[in-house]
Amino acid sequence: MHNLNEIAAKTLAALKENGAEKAACTARFTETHEFNVDGGEFSLFRTLFDNNLSMTAICEKKKGSVGINRFDDEAIAKAASDCAAIAASGAPDEAWDFADGTAHAPTTDGCPEADLDRFFDRTRELMDDIKQRHPKILMEQMIVTHKNIHCVYMNSKGVSFDTTEGYYAIDLMFSAHEGDKASSFFGTGVITDSLDTRFIDLGSIETDLADVEKQLDPVPLTGKFTGTALFPAGSLGSILYSVVGNFASDMTILDGTSPWKDKLGTAVADPRLTVSLNPSDSRVVCGDRYTADGFVAEDYDLIKDGVLQSFMLSLYVSNKTGIARAKNSSGSMIVKPGDTALADIIAGIERGIIVGRFSGGDPGTGGDFSGVAKNSFLIENGKITCALSETMISGNIGDLLKNIRAISKETVADGSTVLPAIAFDGVTVSGQ
Amino acid sequence: MLPDILTKCRQYLPTDAHTEVRVQKNRSCRVTLLSGNLTANAKSETSGVSARVYKGGVYGFSSMAECSEDAARAVLKAADENAHFMDRRVGRGKGALPTIQDGYLPLKSDISDPEQKLYADFAREIDAYIVEKYPNLASRAVIATADSLEKMLLTNDGMSGHTILPRSYMYVFLNSETTAGTPIEMFEAFGTSGTFDQNFTDPAALYGKIDALYERLMKKREGVYADAGKKTCILSGGLAGMLAHEAVGHTVEADLVLGGSVAGPNLGKVVASEKVNLTDFAHTAFGEEVPLPVYLDDEGTPAVDAPIIKDGVLVGYMNSRETAQHFGMQPTGNARAWAFSDEPLIRMRNTAIHPGTDKLEDMIASVEDGYYLIDTNNGQADTTGEFMFGVTCGYEIKNGKLGRAILDTTISGVAFEMLKTVDMVSDTVAWQSSGFCGKKQPMGVGLGGPAIRCEMMIGGR
Repeated sequence: MHNLNEIAAKTLAALKENGAEKAACTARFTETHEFNVDGGEFSLFRTLFDNNLSMTAICEKKKGSVGINRFDDEAIAKAASDCAAIAASGAPDEAWDFADGTAHAPTTDGCPEADLDRFFDRTRELMDDIKQRHPKILMEQMIVTHKNIHCVYMNSKGVSFDTTEGYYAIDLMFSAHEGDKASSFFGTGVITDSLDTRFIDLGSIETDLADVEKQLDPVPLTGKFTGTALFPAGSLGSILYSVVGNFASDMTILDGTSPWKDKLGTAVADPRLTVSLNPSDSRVVCGDRYTADGFVAEDYDLIKDGVLQSFMLSLYVSNKTGIARAKNSSGSMIVKPGDTALADIIAGIERGIIVGRFSGGDPGTGGDFSGVAKNSFLIENGKITCALSETMISGNIGDLLKNIRAISKETVADGSTVLPAIAFDGVTVSGQ
Repeated sequence: MLPDILTKCRQYLPTDAHTEVRVQKNRSCRVTLLSGNLTANAKSETSGVSARVYKGGVYGFSSMAECSEDAARAVLKAADENAHFMDRRVGRGKGALPTIQDGYLPLKSDISDPEQKLYADFAREIDAYIVEKYPNLASRAVIATADSLEKMLLTNDGMSGHTILPRSYMYVFLNSETTAGTPIEMFEAFGTSGTFDQNFTDPAALYGKIDALYERLMKKREGVYADAGKKTCILSGGLAGMLAHEAVGHTVEADLVLGGSVAGPNLGKVVASEKVNLTDFAHTAFGEEVPLPVYLDDEGTPAVDAPIIKDGVLVGYMNSRETAQHFGMQPTGNARAWAFSDEPLIRMRNTAIHPGTDKLEDMIASVEDGYYLIDTNNGQADTTGEFMFGVTCGYEIKNGKLGRAILDTTISGVAFEMLKTVDMVSDTVAWQSSGFCGKKQPMGVGLGGPAIRCEMMIGGR
């Protein structure tokens, strides 16, 4: 076993010896066990033992970073020297800094010890459940993994964290087939720290399998209309992360291209929308304990009742702009549910589309998006009438948030996020 | 250079199961200047050893972050145990893989590891040029980046060898606003295989290309939304390369064929117009070395070209040794791994549509009402062949002449239907190699093509 605290302390000392006035490092050891299924058959069992040592030095206000995967003294000494040389090649910037603080007590989250036999049995049970309940499904690839991660963060300002976590991750990629007919592929997954539940009952796996089986006879949309786009939990995340990336991230705030750059404290969305980043939520498995800059991770609201509360800024961009940093750097997104049942939302849509998966480029800096609505269904007069193919949707991700028609009261917890379905009005849907 | 720990390991290889041992080092570095702020200045180096053992139709794999004989023996033992675990629990009962050519591929030459200052200084010179010449930009970003994969491979029933594949690039992003105040962006990646000091010796060599990029940005300021629907389009060589990779290439990766891709029932059938020929090139294409040449894959198969479409007919797949056996084809050397801790997967190498005989200007002149689409920032495709690309630079074509620029949009179609509409193919191939293909692991790939004229769906607003 590696003594990660000793390795981190040695790294900080080496960075200081090379002239760093401030320094931080993370030493991580990860043990991975992974089963793979390809084309519906078990194909691979992997066992990995990975080291990672990342370090950052600030020398004369210049920053350099190095990452290696060795823990021996010779490697640490060379990496620290390289790190200082990289910093020297940079430009001075007062904004580089790390958190002040204290040493935190070690923490353990999830299930660090893998039960491999039971894990394999649950995986084979999932394969059997799918064959029995969803015979048209062909598993293109399934990757199930257990990770045990021991991590020590330490900086020169007295902060240290010592975290151990373990979890199981189940990722599926599949499509439906019947004779010569085939659906589009679809991916779903969960992470969990328990093997007490059949995997098919976790997250939205069962629903997703059933939906894809209904997509064997998709119909190309003819013409174009402006209507409602309903994003289930599985596709809502990609839209919301695009919003975050375009409007609230380090890069777009620092370069001033974010349309939200002056919108803190003002309404940017429908008042029913609350988006939080809550790594401590009980439904999040092994949520972050600390930020990339060494602060204790705290939950926060990005948008509360439609009003922009925070950007997702690092300490560096916070120091550059004078805007408060984000209280955590996780992706543990929790969206407050609405009060309408998903079935009732669909029943109330005159003409629209359920977007199971959005396949499109990143939105432009202004938020305009267009892409293919994959694994989608047409809604007409409150009923799902057919699966769709070759159908595109377009709009603006900023406008979407203001044009919310309804938020479902049901949510999906996949171990990383907790999301409802949201229906947005004013989306352009176009076909051939 | 990696230490040779494998020569002594041959004695530990099992004789009854195909086995690979791979020692590998990945290097990367990145310098990012965001509107003059040095937001990233980092390098990384990871190395280790892995082993993979094939037993009864399943693989066992293990890796360790250490380059030593002891580590090699440890991962061999763990991989063998994993293979036996799977064989015992799954019991597919398959026999050995067919034998392939053996031998040893020696390293051609070592590569340099330039100091970080070289990247930072070059990026600063480019940034200084942009800010001085174009002070009215809303923002800009300049990124210098490089990565390399060094591999030493030992197999018990195939080729062994030692290879290095470096590549390096400069990315330039320019941002402005439309006349209506909507933010717009234009970017380009410059570079190819080779180390940074080989590819970038003089910043002034990029100035003309940056000027051209700025001109396109200014035209985009006056841009209009494309008219949504099915249109006659000229795709640039870059977009045709993306089409070759995303919309066709993935569907003919034999593991995805086994997963139900559209290429399964279409082998031997017409899937494109007779003007379309498409190959996944190993190391040489059209008389020249390709952007990211592969001579040996990570299963020990000597890399050869994989013909995919010949005169419009689907003629083959990209294979690993296992899938080649399944389909009764020859392995092509497509099984590649990104990191030492990754198992080989079927990956593209340099996938390209072959050039035709048409001139680009004649192709544009032939379009009465359509679009010339030049740059893309993103591409995705389905195993059904349905694809979409984000288009970041394009122009209207009206009565055979280029018109207004268009704002960011998306094009889509179904590959084996859309390719049947190709009726003109230009005589010049454009290659790209800066991106990463994602398929469980990242992988650097080359993609290329000539300009093609076709019918496809374009998104508007």
